[in-house]
Amino acid sequence: MPTDATKKGDTPAEVYLYNEFRAINAHVPRRRKSIEELLGESAPQIDCGDGSTHFFRKKELHLLADMLDDEERKDFMLPMLIEVSSRDNSYAVPSPRGTEAKVLSKICGTNLSPVMNRVTLFKPHLSVIRSSLKTCTQYIFVA
Amino acid sequence: MAIKIQVPRPTKMELSRLKKRHKLATRIQKIVKDRLSLLIMEFLQTVKECAAVRERLLADFSEAYRAYSVAFGYHGKAPLEKEMALSEMPFTVSSGTRNVAGVKLPFFEIEKGEAATAQLRNRIDGSSVLAQSIEQSRKCLETIIQLTELQNSLDLLGTEINKVKRVNNALEFIVIPALDVTIRYLNMKFEERDREETARLKYVKQLLERKEAHAY
Repeated sequence: MPTDATKKGDTPAEVYLYNEFRAINAHVPRRRKSIEELLGESAPQIDCGDGSTHFFRKKELHLLADMLDDEERKDFMLPMLIEVSSRDNSYAVPSPRGTEAKVLSKICGTNLSPVMNRVTLFKPHLSVIRSSLKTCTQYIFVA
Repeated sequence: MAIKIQVPRPTKMELSRLKKRHKLATRIQKIVKDRLSLLIMEFLQTVKECAAVRERLLADFSEAYRAYSVAFGYHGKAPLEKEMALSEMPFTVSSGTRNVAGVKLPFFEIEKGEAATAQLRNRIDGSSVLAQSIEQSRKCLETIIQLTELQNSLDLLGTEINKVKRVNNALEFIVIPALDVTIRYLNMKFEERDREETARLKYVKQLLERKEAHAY
């Protein structure tokens, strides 16, 4: 059966390829929550696009909360989405207010400033970020 | 060697459809490759963590064993067993899942309650030796839970890496080369048709010229 991305005349091979493309990003959260909202929950969690639930580690939430002030806690949305672009093999985190850049700079120990509302990351940064923020970050694949 | 895809009719429309599919397959292959590299990175990180936690668990076990030996010597078998049966470890383990690049991994979080050692200290037959052995066994349990999560994650990540590798290999070595070969075949077919057309036109032109020459 054709999905939204596919057209009526597409062959099964094309439908399969489109579905594969959709399945890659199925884990992206339906709605992100602010850190303040998550800290108020007894079991901080969000619903993913594929119907699963993603839990947050409280230790990580407290680590992030310590880095931010009250105003930033309301705006800081979790999980942080790490965009993986296959076009130029780069990793980036959208940072519209610069809070993400501030947090990532503190975790990586280097100055990461946003360029056009995006913080560009390199692989060594990624492993540092992922090891300390395992549940607070998620990958999203961009073509 | 890549096998050509069966094309019902070698038409330009079919060629454009194949080109579209080739573009899509290349795009997906790139993304799948990225996902594979990220999963491998996560796997290696989990391996490192797993090794560290395993080492810590061994150290915790030896510590706990030492503490129990001391408590056993101090209290004797029967009182120690009685204390062990009475003592409780008030903590809860919440479980769930976390998502890493589309892989659902187990998630355990330990929430500590009031320490059992504090209760022990209040009792008459409790001692610091006993409290220490209980504290050590509690530490061991925490590390075991942590190791369970990591070990399970390792298994799931390994299985997913295998799956993604298969998809990547299928795209890289079967689908894309087959599309390449078919596109090349269709292009050659069209070029050949063009050449035939040119030759035919030249021949017709020659015939017409000859006809015109004979007419005069």
